[in-house]
Amino acid sequence: MSNFISRIIGFFTGEGFKRYLKTLKYSLYMILHPFDGSWDLIHEGRGSMAAAHTIVILALLTRLWDMRFANFMVNNTRWSEVNIIKELASVLVPLFIWVLANWCLTTLMDGKGRFKDIYMATAYSFTPYVLIGIPMIFVSNVVTLEEGVFYTYFNIFSLIWCVFLILCAMMMIHDYGLLKGLGSSILSVAGMAIIIFVVLLFFSLISDAVAYFISLYKEITLRAS
Amino acid sequence: MKKRIITLLILLCLVVTGVPSADASDDWYTYTYNYWGDETASPDAYSVTNVFYGRNFGDEVGTFNDAEGMFVIEDLVYICDTKNNRIVELQYNQGSFELIRIIYTLNVSLKNKDMMDPYELVDLSTDEKPNYKVWMQGENEIVLTLKSPYDIHVVKMSPEKREKMYGSDHLGEKYIPPVPVVEPDDDVTDTPEDGEAADTSATTSDSEDSADGDSDTEEPGEGEGEGEGEGEAEAEKEAPKVLENVIKKDLDRDYDIFIADTENHRIIHCDYNLNVIGVVQHPEDETLKEDYEFLPSKFVVDDVGRYYVQAKNINAGLMEFNKAGEFTTYVGASPVTVSLIQRLWRRIQTKEQWKRSKQYVPTEYNNVALDSEGFLYVTTSTLTEAELTSHNGKPVRKLNAMGQDILIRNGSSFPIGDVVWGDTEQVSGASAFVDVTVFENETYCCLDKTRGKIFCYDFQGNLLYAFGNYGMNAGCFANPVAIDRLDEQTLIVLDKKCGTLTIFAMSNFGKLIKEALDLYRIGHYDDSAVVWRDVLKYNGNYDLAYVGVGRALLRQEKYKEAMDMFEVVRDGTNYSKAFKKYREQQVEKHIVLFIIIIAVLFVVPKVIRTIIRLRKEIKEA
Repeated sequence: MSNFISRIIGFFTGEGFKRYLKTLKYSLYMILHPFDGSWDLIHEGRGSMAAAHTIVILALLTRLWDMRFANFMVNNTRWSEVNIIKELASVLVPLFIWVLANWCLTTLMDGKGRFKDIYMATAYSFTPYVLIGIPMIFVSNVVTLEEGVFYTYFNIFSLIWCVFLILCAMMMIHDYGLLKGLGSSILSVAGMAIIIFVVLLFFSLISDAVAYFISLYKEITLRAS
Repeated sequence: MKKRIITLLILLCLVVTGVPSADASDDWYTYTYNYWGDETASPDAYSVTNVFYGRNFGDEVGTFNDAEGMFVIEDLVYICDTKNNRIVELQYNQGSFELIRIIYTLNVSLKNKDMMDPYELVDLSTDEKPNYKVWMQGENEIVLTLKSPYDIHVVKMSPEKREKMYGSDHLGEKYIPPVPVVEPDDDVTDTPEDGEAADTSATTSDSEDSADGDSDTEEPGEGEGEGEGEGEAEAEKEAPKVLENVIKKDLDRDYDIFIADTENHRIIHCDYNLNVIGVVQHPEDETLKEDYEFLPSKFVVDDVGRYYVQAKNINAGLMEFNKAGEFTTYVGASPVTVSLIQRLWRRIQTKEQWKRSKQYVPTEYNNVALDSEGFLYVTTSTLTEAELTSHNGKPVRKLNAMGQDILIRNGSSFPIGDVVWGDTEQVSGASAFVDVTVFENETYCCLDKTRGKIFCYDFQGNLLYAFGNYGMNAGCFANPVAIDRLDEQTLIVLDKKCGTLTIFAMSNFGKLIKEALDLYRIGHYDDSAVVWRDVLKYNGNYDLAYVGVGRALLRQEKYKEAMDMFEVVRDGTNYSKAFKKYREQQVEKHIVLFIIIIAVLFVVPKVIRTIIRLRKEIKEA
């Protein structure tokens, strides 16, 4: 038992955990210095996947907490109609498709970033959403309806900040100039649309095919009997 | 063994969940909408006490044939029995009706005729003009008959007031009953459905004996306004004959009666004894097309004798006529809104396409009502579903003297009738308001033709309750056309298709809501909250009651409780008000605590930093 506890303590005091904390803390530097920060994040190894995962999870939690705890004046969530899996997917799926589309595209456009790097940089860019979103949940509960615009504006501001960070990060990790960075990001969005379209097409074809074989099977069994 | 138990459990689960649960979604009659726009079942605010058919009022009345209009003044109810070309006057007394008279004709004296000449009402060589059915009756009486009367309006008018408003020309005019020229089988009214007419007379013939005794007419069967094929043919040959009014009971009232004699293109103004005083005829206005036919369908007359007329094929608002019957202006035309995209689309269209595409015209009203303060309430049913759900269409409006819409719409949804609806085979689409009636406390009830429902809103535009349905059973309607109030607690609805009058009486639940609203309106907020609490005992889902209680709590400075009340119904505006006060209160109460917390937040990190620095220095030293 004592061995177990000491292992836990060892984990939290060990080098690995220290590095994790350091990389997590680096997100604060990165959001204030988008260009240098993004460059160092990837090329100088200042970030870690663990920290990236943490930020994504925090962003997901922020979204859920916002739906649950923000004051009803600014929060129109009807909990009887909410599906948490869907809510989480509505963040995670676009994130994954974005990373995929961007990686596919930048591979063709001489981008330096790897799949992992794109994910890490995007995840780090979610930091403002977490940092502003969580305090705003508290703020929403101590403001009146008229002051509620602060909540709205700050949240919008945080999202704009996130988008800006993503754009900067894409430029830096792929070692692009301004135009190419922006262009690749816009093309990535188009790529996302294409991926979604292909996936939907694929699913509908598959379901048709499956339905065909099921009816074929039924027909045969009915004839046979 | 274990496996068996598990199988059994699974089976049990299946059985338990497999039991069909009672789906009560359409079982209720009265409902409201909550914040989310869900239908919420409610106890009945009104319940049907009686349904009357025309024949319930006596054999002279028979069956109503496409009755379009209704008007209630004090205890008298007037029904425009449109296709029978008559007005039926009934007296309401303790839940039952008594027939007063059936009006087929109005009297014009020669003296009056001169007065009406400026409007070219009466051409005495009338046979040339079949539209103006006027006959000489004796020496100095002319009789006007009605043709498809659509609406009637009655105002209180003492002889003095009448003299003041309309001059003294008709003062002292005495009603001389016209010499009856009616022969038993004759009938001037055109009855389109001969088969049905024959049916009705057959069914009512067995009770003719009793009617004979107290009827003034020679032939009670003809009182139904139903003609038979032969009678009609005879009537064509002979000079047209006039049906005589049936007078069952002599009442002496100081009323003036206005009748929209629609297919005769006029509104007739007469006194209670049916002596014509004035007439509204074809309006003289350049904007009207040459071939425009004046077909007044619904109208009201205000305190100073102005007419507000909704005529067919007029979409420029209500036509206003002065008391002399001269057209003055249009009132309350709704502005046409054309979106940017529509405008751009118009730009690139060719002239041909332009002509063919949909015209952007103002909405045409379909009914008009007057409240006790003299404001006009108008309804329209020409709005599209998109306009209604986007809060752009306003199917019911309250117009001020300038013709502007001043209806308050503070409810969680606009007064548009149903907020959500499903389409079935029989009914589809949004609610279509066809009539509105306004109570003393500015509560107004709108009649929805689509689903045969009645929607009642309070003076702030909150939906109080909705009830009714499409159908033939009591409390449901097939084609409701008019709603009015018999008194503050009784509604009366006219169904054109069924030919019925349905009487609704307020239930205890409805009375409580009314009491609470009344108290609130005169400023007794705390008393009204007590009543609202009683309302909540009947219906825990009644959102307005929570707001009512919350408002009183707010006034009593019980902010936290008020906030809870407002949060239940998600009333953000009021919650915010309560919260603002609550926040002030809390900050004042705990000011010391706040200062301490702020101090701690700022001071403690500094102290810790100093300690760390000191330690470092000691170590280094």
